[in-house]
Amino acid sequence: MENKTMMKLVVGTEGMFFVALIMAFIYMAYNSGFEPYEVSQLDIKTTGLFTLVLFSSSFTFWMAEKKYKNGDIKSLKIWLIITILFGAIFLFGQGEEYVRLINENITLSGSVFGTSFYALTGFHGLHVFIGLIILLIILILVFLGDFNNSSSNVISTVGIYWHFVDIVWMFVFTVVYVLPKFTKI
Amino acid sequence: MQEIVEIPEPSSSFPGLGVSSDQGLLQWISSVDHKMIGIMYLFVSLLFFVIGGAEALLMRIQLALPMMHFLGPETYNQFFTMHGTTMIFFVAMPAIFGFAVYFVPLMIGANEMAFPRMNAFSLWITLFGGLLLYFSFLAGGAPDAGWFNYAPLNQKNYSSNPGIDYYAMGLLISGIGSVTTSINLVVTILHMRIKNMKLNRLPLFVWMVLVNSFLLLAAFPSLNAALAMLLMDRQFHAHFFNTTNGGSALLWQHLFWIFGHPEVYIVILPPFGILSEVFPVFSRKPIFGYSFIAASSVGIALLAFGVWAHHMFAVGLGNTVDSFFSASSMLIGIPTGVKIFNWLATMYGGKIKFTVSMMFAIAFLIEFTIGGLTGIAFSIVPIDWQLTDTYYVVAHLHYVFIGGTIFGLLAGLFYWFPKMTGRMLDEKSGRWFFWLFVIGFNATFLVQHMLGILGMPRRVYTYPDIPWYGVLNFISTAGAFLMGISMLLLLRIIYKSAKQGKIAGDNPWDAYTLEWTASSPPALKNFDELPEVTGTRPLWDWKHPDKADK
Amino acid sequence: MGKFSSLSFYFIQSITNPASFQAERINRVFNSFNIAAAAMLLLVTFLVIFISVKYREKIGDDTEPKQVSGNNVLEAFMIGVPTLLLAYFFYQTIVIEKAIAPGVDKSQQPDVIITGHEWWWEVEYPGSNVITANEVHLPVGKHLLLELRSADVIHDWWVPQLGNKMDLIPKITNHLWLDINMPGDYIGACSEFCGAQHAWMRIKVIAQTERDFNNWLASNTSNGQSPLDSLALTGEKLFQEKTCGSCHRVQGTNATAMVGPDLTHLGSRQEILTGLMKNNQENLFKWINHPQDIKPGAHMPDFILDKDSVAAIAHYLTQLK
Repeated sequence: MENKTMMKLVVGTEGMFFVALIMAFIYMAYNSGFEPYEVSQLDIKTTGLFTLVLFSSSFTFWMAEKKYKNGDIKSLKIWLIITILFGAIFLFGQGEEYVRLINENITLSGSVFGTSFYALTGFHGLHVFIGLIILLIILILVFLGDFNNSSSNVISTVGIYWHFVDIVWMFVFTVVYVLPKFTKI
Repeated sequence: MQEIVEIPEPSSSFPGLGVSSDQGLLQWISSVDHKMIGIMYLFVSLLFFVIGGAEALLMRIQLALPMMHFLGPETYNQFFTMHGTTMIFFVAMPAIFGFAVYFVPLMIGANEMAFPRMNAFSLWITLFGGLLLYFSFLAGGAPDAGWFNYAPLNQKNYSSNPGIDYYAMGLLISGIGSVTTSINLVVTILHMRIKNMKLNRLPLFVWMVLVNSFLLLAAFPSLNAALAMLLMDRQFHAHFFNTTNGGSALLWQHLFWIFGHPEVYIVILPPFGILSEVFPVFSRKPIFGYSFIAASSVGIALLAFGVWAHHMFAVGLGNTVDSFFSASSMLIGIPTGVKIFNWLATMYGGKIKFTVSMMFAIAFLIEFTIGGLTGIAFSIVPIDWQLTDTYYVVAHLHYVFIGGTIFGLLAGLFYWFPKMTGRMLDEKSGRWFFWLFVIGFNATFLVQHMLGILGMPRRVYTYPDIPWYGVLNFISTAGAFLMGISMLLLLRIIYKSAKQGKIAGDNPWDAYTLEWTASSPPALKNFDELPEVTGTRPLWDWKHPDKADK
Repeated sequence: MGKFSSLSFYFIQSITNPASFQAERINRVFNSFNIAAAAMLLLVTFLVIFISVKYREKIGDDTEPKQVSGNNVLEAFMIGVPTLLLAYFFYQTIVIEKAIAPGVDKSQQPDVIITGHEWWWEVEYPGSNVITANEVHLPVGKHLLLELRSADVIHDWWVPQLGNKMDLIPKITNHLWLDINMPGDYIGACSEFCGAQHAWMRIKVIAQTERDFNNWLASNTSNGQSPLDSLALTGEKLFQEKTCGSCHRVQGTNATAMVGPDLTHLGSRQEILTGLMKNNQENLFKWINHPQDIKPGAHMPDFILDKDSVAAIAHYLTQLK
């Protein structure tokens, strides 16, 4: 129980961190203003696809948890690997987007939009990356047999974090990609 | 008659337990025992208190007379920045954490924190954050834009030495320590209480620590985000706060004060908790209005997030915004201020023992009232428009931080020292220390209210010879040195008492809470077993079963 | 004017010695606040002393006192009274805010534009070509609108006897209303920490009757005084040669830059370096000779000039009236 409470608090405080970042993004958008051309370079469709992949990873992790509870270690391994793959694909997508934008001369030091965009999505990416490391460690431990015949709450604890990362992306995606389609920034 | 509750062993992650006990420094460094970590936190706090105090004295020398040339503007600006940053982040917070991680497990009848190794991690990373901050002196200059480090002065083009980078990194790192400690404390309090210690039976100190930890978890991310953005600005030329290329000067202020004002409550709530332990014990009565004190601290924690812009009344946000934050600031003053009367009512009709701890608690009532009232002055927007960023603020914040936080912590030190060391902190020389400190403190800061009213801005390294400025500043400097001397005396008292003080026994004050059932100092395993807890004052209940609290 | 302001202090510069409509309104609420606060503090102090004396532990008495843990009526009272007091002050807050800081119509032309620089004040009078620095001349008895801007970091305009302060923030334009009651010199200072020389960013407001003010304004529209003697002529030449004009402006000459303070009528100012020194040839010499010794950190660099050149420039500047 302690572990889960701890993770809930971590997620809570990290959530506040993203609230601050998102508020800063919105503040910069309204106060300093973004270059409309730069905002238009965001490709909502491609990123939307990668977003779906990330959201699916929440589902696959949920499957992993369920299999583990039933003692089905083999399926646990499979679902864990799929989860990690999905997370990695999302990060790959983000990297590709960064490369494309940098080629368009949109950089962290180039403009207010660049600063706000890379800071917000970058910090989210960092959280996904950390999540992947944790998942990899779990996967290795599963292969080493640490989770055979045990009832540990480690997996569901990590789950709290992984679902959190997905939920945060929902907000980030909405603010960065969707809202500019409807409002004039 | 009473059920006996067994206390579970500290968790298996407790490497020191089997090892023979005396390994000197190595044992301290490798310890995950909450008591050793608590004491080390207090030492960290003391170390930085001496440094921060020395900085203050050097500044007071420079300000003793008009047009002095003792410190140049650059040195002075670095010193006041470091003084403020040090006192908030590396004195007040470690001291609070020190008492919290030492006494929370003891007061709730647990043998350890929930995560002992994380506890050690938090301590060391806090210390390293402080050391990193101070390394800036060697690396080309300390931060020099004030502890709240306003943009765009915090940018490379206005402050080119690396000090502010160290400020950002040092605070980020120690901030991680603060967050992990808070998580640890919350989990400990929620999960490791002895049987039957419901939340409404928690000692008030533990209550305050609980509320405080939530407050910290919600407030610190805002600072951390701001610091991360600042580092991006300074290291990677991002545009958040750099007004020369599209950044905003006010975003920093918002992010900082959304953290900064809750931070003020973060360093005052636990001292409130200490006082709520000290007043009942030395008045021989239960606390007056337990539920009000507990509930109002929750109210304070929630309201704390709605008052940040009262630091920004002179920014020009407009009357509507100003009025909103004026109202919320007044509102938060009520649960904060009314507690004074709770403690007075606790004393009323009691049998007051004037121990040094109690003397600090009683002095707190007056000093904190002064700090609270001048705080109300700042919630009245027009008065704030005159007095903000003057010496009136300097006086106000020191009456809150010293008259509130430090007085509370000192009351706690004299109260708990016997438990931590097994020896009494000498009461006789303690009285000398008390009077020197109180007189020095008031001499230093009372006159600063005047200076503010007479138009002296804060953070000036010198001032012209305007009528009264010289005299008042000189009094202030003299008072500061009196405080400095009293601190040396305190160090001596602590040293001597730890070595050869009177043996304390388990419960020298005839106090009420569980920590006083453990031996003094407590064994590595705090408790083996305890009688059942039936109220907020278990030791009273066990002693007077016929008159037990309901 | 509140009675208390005249009783409380006889100081020259104090918020309790108001000289404007705005400062007076604030002083009035400050006085009533002080009374309420003093009453509160006295009450607490009295209770502390009374209870400490009456209920101190008496030797030989080893009974436990009555265990009282609360009293709902008293607690309600403890919360109610301060709440009512605060409600009063909140009401005052709103009334005074409205009175002294009404909104500003964006199209309205300000009477004076003040721009904060590290570490001096640029002062412009829209509608005339007058630009000056640090000493702000203002007319008495008029409803003045000040526009406040910053050229670099955040500064803050504050003259205690003239009332509310206001930040000068880069990229933001702030406004302040001001109705000065009495002619006189009022001192103040930058009140937001702005870097190395924040201490020497002082303000002087010279409040004049409307006629005196108009005279001053008219006399300041003229070009910089041409040199009156040969030393000053040398000084003027050096001033133009030694790149002084890349930062400073002297109206009617080739020096037109606005990075540093305008010097067109420098000779008629009382002080130099925002209050640091009296304005005379000797001090100007010291300053130009080694600026970084006089005001360390200031953006005026050390020029390597021989003493005669410095003297000539200083002499030229004092003639700029």
